[in-house]
Amino acid sequence: MTPTLLALLDWDHSQWLAPWSGQWIAETVCSMLVGLACGVLGVFVVLRRMALIGDALSHAVLPGVVLAFMIGGIAWSQWGVDESGAVTNTAAAWAGPKIAWLIEEVSQPVLLLIGATVTGLITAVLINVVVRFSRTKEDSSIGIVFTAMFALGIVMISALPQSVHFDLKCFLFGDPLAINDDDLKMMGIICPAVLLTVAILYYRLKLVSFDPLVAAAMGVSVAAMHYLIMGMLSVTVVAGLKTTGVVLVVAMVITPASAAYQLTNRFGVMLVLAGVFGAVSAGVGMSVAFVANSPTGPAMVLVAVALFGLSVVFSPSHGVVFDRIRRFKLARHVENEDVLKAIYRLGPQPRGRFHDTLQQQTRLAARRIHAALRRLRGEQLIVDQGDTFTLTPAGVRHAETMVRAHRLWETYLADRLGVSPDEVHLEAERLEHVHDIAERLDETLGHPEVDPHGSAIPRRRDDDEDDAGPRSPLFPHG
Amino acid sequence: MTNSPLPLQATDVTVAYDARPVLRSVSFSLGPGQMLGIVGPNGAGKSTLLKSLLGLIAPDFGSVKVFGQSVDDVRHRIAYVPQTEGVDWDFPITVREVVLMGRYGQKGWYGRPNRDDRDRAHEALEKVGMIKYARRHIRQLSGGQQRRVFLARALCQGAELLLLDEPFAGVDAATEKAIFVLIDQMAAEGKSLLVVNHDLSILDRFDRVLLLNQRVIAFGPPDVTVTEANLRATYGGRLSLLDEADETLRQRRKTRDPHLARTT
Repeated sequence: MTPTLLALLDWDHSQWLAPWSGQWIAETVCSMLVGLACGVLGVFVVLRRMALIGDALSHAVLPGVVLAFMIGGIAWSQWGVDESGAVTNTAAAWAGPKIAWLIEEVSQPVLLLIGATVTGLITAVLINVVVRFSRTKEDSSIGIVFTAMFALGIVMISALPQSVHFDLKCFLFGDPLAINDDDLKMMGIICPAVLLTVAILYYRLKLVSFDPLVAAAMGVSVAAMHYLIMGMLSVTVVAGLKTTGVVLVVAMVITPASAAYQLTNRFGVMLVLAGVFGAVSAGVGMSVAFVANSPTGPAMVLVAVALFGLSVVFSPSHGVVFDRIRRFKLARHVENEDVLKAIYRLGPQPRGRFHDTLQQQTRLAARRIHAALRRLRGEQLIVDQGDTFTLTPAGVRHAETMVRAHRLWETYLADRLGVSPDEVHLEAERLEHVHDIAERLDETLGHPEVDPHGSAIPRRRDDDEDDAGPRSPLFPHG
Repeated sequence: MTNSPLPLQATDVTVAYDARPVLRSVSFSLGPGQMLGIVGPNGAGKSTLLKSLLGLIAPDFGSVKVFGQSVDDVRHRIAYVPQTEGVDWDFPITVREVVLMGRYGQKGWYGRPNRDDRDRAHEALEKVGMIKYARRHIRQLSGGQQRRVFLARALCQGAELLLLDEPFAGVDAATEKAIFVLIDQMAAEGKSLLVVNHDLSILDRFDRVLLLNQRVIAFGPPDVTVTEANLRATYGGRLSLLDEADETLRQRRKTRDPHLARTT
């Protein structure tokens, strides 16, 4: 993006250093509202895989913005009047002041917003038109349309009247100093409006995002929902341009929503989280920028990316950290069960020899066996009777569940997967720790009585309240 | 039943993409409580036919009447069960929510599901034997379970005409049996079912069979329709190559409409 790079070269960084002031607070509040709305809308962008469209929209609004400037910059009240004040065109002279009044009424920011929204929607429509009427696929179509719109906008800047100063740098990188009360008021309306629309149309939007084909078959207008999201996105992006600028605004849309996506499997929760992450990124970004004396937009984006990074690492279902914890717990779980089963098999044994026997049986280190015994004792699955260990009734039940799982797996492997009965044992050793799947096996196999070695498969006890088998903190995977 | 209009009547449906005809003058009808199986090679226009029946594609010629009316007027009486392969299974949504979606169509644009809707979703999940998984995320389901969830969503819609797009593709024998029990039951309740499928061995289980390859090769009860000559005409004598061709074609086909980006 050459214009971006060119603008970056002669950038005056002193503009970024906003002091702690009313201006700073106004911008923080405004940015947080932008972050909130962008985050929520970002959920749809991320789930519907429209990230590229999000980026495209923010760039493609340029002609609309320039056009709004043009209209706003024309001396309408001088229309149809020559330099000396004499009327040269009656109609124009009549209309001129009226238009000037109208523009004065709607105010410059609103005019910009209208221009940008219209261009945003035209872009979204054009992208679909190109896809439909040519061989071009959607990603290329987006590329063609948005660069064309951006180029058109830049050409239009050169056609602006001398009296109008258009700050392309502000458009590209944002300019916190340019934020005024009008912007704040506008965001104060747009953000709640976006949230309200999403809340009202929540179920429709969910349906259309998840399954557009079925939605269409149900008579829901998929295209209307698509353009509604595009429209809201254009409005929000344009209203928020002064905070981050077009180059970075897409980060405020995609990054918080992607962070939320890591953390939840619920659509509603994702919307809330994305909104919160967006607002927090903006708020923290502003503070960091102030403390570190750095530009605000990039600071917000970096905070959002940091949140995303944390969510990747700490995600409960996909994250690296919880994955490690799960593996660790699983390893302990397997150790516990192996030791428990060994005790069940061996029966009461004198203590001294017992450890050696356990070690041979389970092939675990002495230290691990000690720890497992301690945990089992704590769970009251075994009792320490002087020099021997015995299973409590709960311990026996758990051991039987395992034997059952083991033999069911053996049966399944032999019957359904054709593994030879001599080889099933080792595999079943590994699989027996997953009890709830074993119950499903039982169902699939039609409740077999004996395993491939001819041993009886113990029936499930009725006092196990559900399929999951015994539940205890020690056996979270039970 | 003398005067009630047929659940589905297609007359001379003709569709062309870029002047290349995909369906030529397809006519058939489906009576109440009937099960219709549609088979044909890939590229035969099965999905296009489904879409025209659903009113998602306007036929270039011919007409579709659903319960004697235009599709748009009777959408609440139709349920569509799409193929599962195009769905984003990472979407943050639970099994229960997917099934509940079946109720959304009957709500207004702001409609929220109420108690009755939740009860119906619960019932539908019970019927397909998926109630245990109601709170699971959809990614945690097996292929057969995913199909059952989609069926539950259609059940939940309370529709009288169901269009199923390859409900048996890639499921094991047990699931196939379970799905058949379910659709037999629906037919017994007087619902009409149209099932697009690939498996030629199960055609005898339908009341009517439509052999399709751009045009209708044969349409009628399976015992007279499913003959070697008709199958050869449908598949162009390449029955043995079918499995191979299927997979290749499946990979290649892609829709051009970004809003419906997941269909074949």
